[in-house]
Amino acid sequence: MIKNKAFPLIVLMLFAAGGAFAAKPAPAPAAITGLTAADMPYDVGNAAILRWPVDPAAAADTVYVVYSSSQPAAGWIETDRFAAAARTGKDIELPFWAWDGTAAEHAVKVELNNIFGEGVPGSVFQFKVSAVKGKLVIAESLPVSVTPVGNWFRLDRLNNLVLLIGLIVIFFWAVSHAKRKGLFIRRIAGLDAIDEAIGRATEMGKPIFYVPGIGGMSSISTIASAFILGEVSKKVAQYDSQIKVPHYDPIVMTVCKEVVKQSYMEAGRPDSYRDDLNFFVSQDQFSYAASVDGMISREKPAACFYMGYFMAESLLLAEVGATSGAIQIAGTDVEHQLPFFFTACDYTLIGEELYAAGAYLSKEPMLLSALKVQDFGKLVVMVSVFFGMILVALGAKLGWTGFVQGILHLFKGY
Amino acid sequence: MFKETLQKFFKIDRRWIFLLLAITLFVPIIKPIGLPNKTISPATRRVHENLDKLPAGSFVMFSLDYDPSTRPELHPMATALLRHAFAKNLRVGVVTYIAGSTGLIEEIFAKVPKEYNKVDGVDYVILPYQPNVVAVLTQMSSDLYGIYTKDRNGTPIADMPVMKGIRNYKDMSFVVSVTGTALLDYWVAYVGDKYGVPVAGGVTAISQPGYGPYLQTNQLKGLIGGMKGAAEYESLIKQPGKGTSGIDALNLAHLLVLALILTSNIILLYVKYF
Amino acid sequence: MKFIKKQIPLIIVMVVGVLTLVSYYVPNKVSVDYIETMNKWENIVVAFAFLLGLISLFFSHYNKIKRKGDGWGYSLFVFVGFLAMVLPAYFSHGKQMTDAGLTPLGWSFKFIYNALSGTMFAVLAFYIVSTAYRSFRIKSMQAFVLFVAAFILILGKVPLGQIIWDGVLGWTGAGVNDVIEWIMQFPAVAGKRGIMIGISIGAIVTSLKIIFGIEKQYMGKD
Repeated sequence: MIKNKAFPLIVLMLFAAGGAFAAKPAPAPAAITGLTAADMPYDVGNAAILRWPVDPAAAADTVYVVYSSSQPAAGWIETDRFAAAARTGKDIELPFWAWDGTAAEHAVKVELNNIFGEGVPGSVFQFKVSAVKGKLVIAESLPVSVTPVGNWFRLDRLNNLVLLIGLIVIFFWAVSHAKRKGLFIRRIAGLDAIDEAIGRATEMGKPIFYVPGIGGMSSISTIASAFILGEVSKKVAQYDSQIKVPHYDPIVMTVCKEVVKQSYMEAGRPDSYRDDLNFFVSQDQFSYAASVDGMISREKPAACFYMGYFMAESLLLAEVGATSGAIQIAGTDVEHQLPFFFTACDYTLIGEELYAAGAYLSKEPMLLSALKVQDFGKLVVMVSVFFGMILVALGAKLGWTGFVQGILHLFKGY
Repeated sequence: MFKETLQKFFKIDRRWIFLLLAITLFVPIIKPIGLPNKTISPATRRVHENLDKLPAGSFVMFSLDYDPSTRPELHPMATALLRHAFAKNLRVGVVTYIAGSTGLIEEIFAKVPKEYNKVDGVDYVILPYQPNVVAVLTQMSSDLYGIYTKDRNGTPIADMPVMKGIRNYKDMSFVVSVTGTALLDYWVAYVGDKYGVPVAGGVTAISQPGYGPYLQTNQLKGLIGGMKGAAEYESLIKQPGKGTSGIDALNLAHLLVLALILTSNIILLYVKYF
Repeated sequence: MKFIKKQIPLIIVMVVGVLTLVSYYVPNKVSVDYIETMNKWENIVVAFAFLLGLISLFFSHYNKIKRKGDGWGYSLFVFVGFLAMVLPAYFSHGKQMTDAGLTPLGWSFKFIYNALSGTMFAVLAFYIVSTAYRSFRIKSMQAFVLFVAAFILILGKVPLGQIIWDGVLGWTGAGVNDVIEWIMQFPAVAGKRGIMIGISIGAIVTSLKIIFGIEKQYMGKD
């Protein structure tokens, strides 16, 4: 009996409760309008970019939450969350010629591969944005979708490309006009001393040590060192002196074997060439240094060349060479090892001189003319630094923010 | 006569200088005097601040590339950095591109994680040695599992808790390269600049001045240099170790160098003008 | 023969060089995959190079022992040293540390390699000191500037030096660290930047010379 009476009562109460809830409805979230999703330009196809207008009326504690999904209107994953004043078009790190961003709109880059893993390019993705205050959603956008694709050109690296093309054009111009007339190169004392060093070795009947450093074949200084080795060993062959080339890297050793062999042939002394002029020592920095030091102090060479990439072993080698009384010529592009070579060697080639050495010694017009390109490059840097400094200082003084930013973009790497 | 004696002193056999240095170093190493380490260089402080502000659980990649030759300078540095990382409950990944450093890494990890109750595979992972650094650094920009599938003991890393959510540089909060070679340059050029990961370094005192330009442009988020840097870091995390105890020897050796340079120049001036 | 030894390598250099250069401007997956493949190839080639080095090393020292050439005794140590590291590595399966403690490889590493390597680097300190004594001499105005800078730097690097500075020059109000900071931040960085820019441009031009086959001495001249 009680049950029978209770049932309608419960139903009534439920209705009443429902009515009470319905009487105070939560404010329906407002709409965030103007949300667009696009493929992130200049990338491999793993990201999308969302843009929507900044709401000037948004309170400081409002937070935007970005959701993304790989299914239509379901499976939303929270992707990003930031304060309402943050992330405007100005914050995207792209130069002015590749990106048109204003402070009046939000721009959010979504890295999809971090959320959905592999296989992002070509799939469709959904996005929506909601504005949240505390725990309450105060505004929400309609979902938008985009298919990210891999792009074919990094427009943001245009400045870099223009400079490269400029250099290549000058390079070919210089090389093709190589034979027209002689080119002046200032004297490089260290390279002129090579003859003297080899002559001394011949007189004394002692060997020459040529140390190509601890770089691999991909290091430019090692490649330059191989050029110099070619010229040095040719002279060694002509004078019938003796050269020893201890190696740190097996690949460099193989290349140098070929270089030395060729030089002996060119000098008309293939009979004097032996395969063990180049030999491998160790691929451990200090074992290499210890071993070469040992050889130098035992054999007391007449001359030591240190050309290539060197680290802490520079002084270890050069100091032992100096103690043994050899003429020493060094060259490296590792700036912080230069002081050690300066103090312990008779002549030192600095960076570019090392690169130029192959051309200087071989006197081949094509190679020599490529040095012009180097000068042109330096000219570009000097002019840019000079005018850039003036323009930026002037712009900052006069408050031309956009102009200063533009100039800075021009010289930035992306 | 006096001049001649001076001249002789000028061309002194270098072995006497070696002996002098040996004695100068020997004394404080055997019996530390405890000279104070007063200042902390801004570059070291920057490393500490950057590591300190990371939220717990962030993934930090340590590239420990030094062999026993540079151990006295770099080992205390690496140890202090790892202590700091573990104390902040960061997740730690270790890579190396110098075969000789594997043993030193083992040495640190045999000791330090235990102090903080950290477990291999859960809180840290040590990846095996790889020979070709540039190739590996480039590969890790897209997917590190393309190069590293197992840790140094052969355990697959993909399911390790420490690797959760870590796929490439974008998932790493910080990179620290402790090295006696040029590897820090690679980290800056191939990783820091290209992918926007903050990179800090620890290097030997000899190569420290070379990184000035990177520090100035903020391409390096701090630099610890030599044994002094290690001692500074130790004092920042308030855990004095090997770096701090080496400071005495360092002090005296520096002063010896100064004294020698001064002597040789005074002699030079005297011989020239008197 | 010349075609195989000269033209083909030059073509490979040019094609790979240009493709790698282009891939810097092309963000597409195709170029990313290309770079990844190249990296893997490079890794494999480098691994084989280790073998190449080892064979060369053994042959040259084997010949020296066979010929009983000067210092052939040292050559014996190449083999002894090699075995002293490789055999323990083989028996400990490449592991240096197990739960039971140091493996034989770990032992060789810690007590042989560690000590030898440390000694070599330590020698550097002795050389630096003696070089500083012999070559740091004020013979010109430039050398004097260098001397002053170096003096301040060395002094400021150590706490005792800082105490000395504060005692002698404290009245100037400039701390030694501020002075060092200034030297390192401005003159030193300016000089280094200049060299760096020059070197980078040199590197670009050398790369172009190699890519376009103008500099080909590294494969032996024709």
